[in-house]
Amino acid sequence: MSQPTDTAQRPPAAGPGAGYLAGIRDVVVLELKQRLRSRGWYIMLAIWFILTGLVTWLTWASWNAQREAQRAYSNFMQPETGPGSMIFEVVLAFVLLFALLVAPALSANAVNGDRAGGTLAILQVTLLRPGQILWGKFFAAWAAALAFLVASTPFLVIGVALGGMTPGHVVVALLMLAVEVGVVCAFGVGISALAGRPLFSIVVTYLAVAGLVFGSLISFALGAGLSQGTIMANQAQYRSYAPYEPMEEQPAPVEPEYTCSGPLQEQPAVHTENVAWMLAMNPYVVVADAIPYPVRLSNAYGMGSPVGAIETVSQGARYAMAGPEGTYPCANGEAKPRYLAQSTPLWPLGLGLQLLLAGLLMWLGWRSLRTPAHRLARGTRIA
Amino acid sequence: MTANQDEMDVPAGPDVSAAGGITATAVSRSFGQVRAVEHMDFNAPAGKVTALIGPNGAGKTTLLLMLASLLAPDSGTITVEGLDPQHQRAEVRRRIGWMPDTLGVWESLTAREILTQMARFYQLPKTGIAQRVTDMLDRVRLSDLADQPARVLSRGQQQRLSLARALIHDPSVLLLDEPASGLDPGSRVELRTMLRQLAAEGKSIVVSSHVLSELDEIADAAVFVNHGRTVRQQTTEEAAAAGRRYAIAATDGSALAAKLTELGLAFRVEDGRRPSVSLMLTNDDDAARLLRDLVLAGVAVRSFAPASGALEETYMNLEGERR
Repeated sequence: MSQPTDTAQRPPAAGPGAGYLAGIRDVVVLELKQRLRSRGWYIMLAIWFILTGLVTWLTWASWNAQREAQRAYSNFMQPETGPGSMIFEVVLAFVLLFALLVAPALSANAVNGDRAGGTLAILQVTLLRPGQILWGKFFAAWAAALAFLVASTPFLVIGVALGGMTPGHVVVALLMLAVEVGVVCAFGVGISALAGRPLFSIVVTYLAVAGLVFGSLISFALGAGLSQGTIMANQAQYRSYAPYEPMEEQPAPVEPEYTCSGPLQEQPAVHTENVAWMLAMNPYVVVADAIPYPVRLSNAYGMGSPVGAIETVSQGARYAMAGPEGTYPCANGEAKPRYLAQSTPLWPLGLGLQLLLAGLLMWLGWRSLRTPAHRLARGTRIA
Repeated sequence: MTANQDEMDVPAGPDVSAAGGITATAVSRSFGQVRAVEHMDFNAPAGKVTALIGPNGAGKTTLLLMLASLLAPDSGTITVEGLDPQHQRAEVRRRIGWMPDTLGVWESLTAREILTQMARFYQLPKTGIAQRVTDMLDRVRLSDLADQPARVLSRGQQQRLSLARALIHDPSVLLLDEPASGLDPGSRVELRTMLRQLAAEGKSIVVSSHVLSELDEIADAAVFVNHGRTVRQQTTEEAAAAGRRYAIAATDGSALAAKLTELGLAFRVEDGRRPSVSLMLTNDDDAARLLRDLVLAGVAVRSFAPASGALEETYMNLEGERR
């Protein structure tokens, strides 16, 4: 053990943690050098930029056209400030959609692509530890995907500049987009370490993303159908409806707008809170729910309506999370807060579950990168 | 305690040669139903070039992967200079240089960048890396192409780059999987010289190859494997001593045949492009004697030469035994 070569070749001691990070950085450098030299990445980036610009411009144009039409044919004007919120929402949804589509392509062949090219074993035979290889690949894929977000930042800023939004919105939105892209990249890198062929792992990663986006909705809907139950509630006595009048003349609404009376009875209700975690895993829900919006007091119509898609998605998800216990009128004889006032955020749960899944895949991937290898996936050759 | 330590210390001096090199004892490894390596023994001592010879699918690459500490054996043990790859991973990795049979090149990186990256992955002292890379590029004659992307290198050049990559951290055990494939004759001679040099520096070198005549010149010993088993382990001298087949051609084939029969030698008529006979001779002295006898008997000998390399002879015999 104590041969002179040992100490001679050992790097200057800077703590084991620093050495581990240095190894990750070396792998990231290796990966990024290769990515930055491939033309495909630049072409994709350019297409992305043009597409996002196009969507932004079309949204703005259509909002303008709508406003013109409204101005021409009716005297009713919505008291909104500008197209900012709408442009912001459309661009955000679009960027998230494309980020979810691009991230698997950038990450899901990271490990098995190298395996196929015979370059993975060359890394594995060095002093690099499997975790360093995997983290390096992950950070490189994430960085490559983040470049796409950076390219779309100007358009999100335009959304703010056109009014209605604060810079805080952009910061939070970009942060959440970055995290979501990171989750997908972790999926991709983990799956690519597990699957034999790049094509297979890319398809599986796309399916996993589809599972998050659509599968979460479908499973929530199906799960809600299976969550029929009852709730103890009594009768709600609504205040008399005021006849329709212009809003300005309405007195400030009184919360709640009903009182509960009578004996508690079993009422049929759907216990959405049992399956809301599925909904929470949807990337759109996570992003929308994390973006702050003001808690609105109910307006004159008795029912407040959310403003904008972000708020609608967020409130819908929070409503499902609260379940009938929190939303059914007079559940347990208590008046419940209104539809729009669900303030318990859902995104920490959703993001937590996503991170758990990503962590699981990365861990499985790490296991498959350990050397000397005991088990090999079917059909994989180590070198 | 003191006595114990003394006991440990005393054999340490001579033990360097014994513990040096790389040894596999009774290693087995199967992939599903396929038993790639079964109970294989292998030893490559320090300062020697050991050839690993066997037909395709004999388990050579699997054995090399296990020796390179990439693959764990199902059973059996491997020691690299007395260290266990399972538990002393980093120490073993510092000592092993591995050149895979697949080229595996980061195509968009330049040769210099590839070697620099490898040096970093082996945690060489940062200040020395640039110099070390330049030296290695010189050594494999890639200095002119050092700043070209690796994809423009020819197969042979990539092979040399791969060798430089295996040598970047100055390993004491070098595992080369088919290093000569794709090399032009000039580069082969260079590779041979280089491997002899490295062996003279005290490194243990394992070379797997099919090009057996090549190995005659560089290998000190050979391990023959087939069907995942070690079939034979011998030094090149032993192989040569076991006899060698000579091919003899004469202007008059019948006169040659008559003389050989008269000498009581068993021979075989070869059906090559030129009529010739071949026969086994025990050593070089025998060959010289036979040639003299033939010439003195007036047989017009046109050529008289070993039909195959010493290792090839063993290999072909093993193939024969298999059938």
